[in-house]
Amino acid sequence: MSYQEKRSVVNIIIGTLVMAAYCIYTFGKYRAGAIDLNHLRFSAVTMLTFIGIGVGAIIVVQILYHIILSVSVAVKQSNCDKKKIGKAVESEFVEDEMDKLIELKSDRLNMIIIGIGFITGLIVLAVGQPPVIMLNILFLSGGVGSLASGVLSLYYYRAGIR
Amino acid sequence: MAKKLKITNNIRRLRFFADEMTQQELAEKAGVSRQTIISIEAGKYSPSLEMAFRIAEVFGVKIGDVFDYEVNGEPK
Repeated sequence: MSYQEKRSVVNIIIGTLVMAAYCIYTFGKYRAGAIDLNHLRFSAVTMLTFIGIGVGAIIVVQILYHIILSVSVAVKQSNCDKKKIGKAVESEFVEDEMDKLIELKSDRLNMIIIGIGFITGLIVLAVGQPPVIMLNILFLSGGVGSLASGVLSLYYYRAGIR
Repeated sequence: MAKKLKITNNIRRLRFFADEMTQQELAEKAGVSRQTIISIEAGKYSPSLEMAFRIAEVFGVKIGDVFDYEVNGEPK
């Protein structure tokens, strides 16, 4: 599995965990009657918190993963000179046109899902549901879009892209 | 409607004749990732003209010696 595939897998796992945690937390609060459906402050604060947790987790895991991968490549090439080790580590993280094309195509899916979420949110508002439902649909469509784009990029790395 | 083109390549054969060059070595010399070389070699990705020239340059051959195409499943 290449670095790019592993990165996609890590992002999918973190995204799934953050989404699951958000759903459990929010649903728990809703059942306990702590959410006023006509006030958005609680939802906004919760969403910002979970977005922050998700972004922070991805940054930390990527940094740790970079360090571990660099060390493992350096250990494998330990009998070579420093320049060659540096080159081997560098080549592990190369991003080329194929990566950019895959990112472009999977990001397009992400945008489509967010767009569908936005339209669904507007429909929900139009039929008289509280705004907090729309906000949650937007948030969840962002999460689902991000997961779907991760899965799609993994698929493209496996099956190829033409 | 345009005829369907299938890009084929001789990278595996060229690597063999280049002293069994590894995919990693080819990737490093062409400035791309090993994943991309694997995909190109397996016919799962058709590179840009620039990348195709860079790969041909690594082997010191013309682009036509690395890449070829088939029209509707028949070699050109």
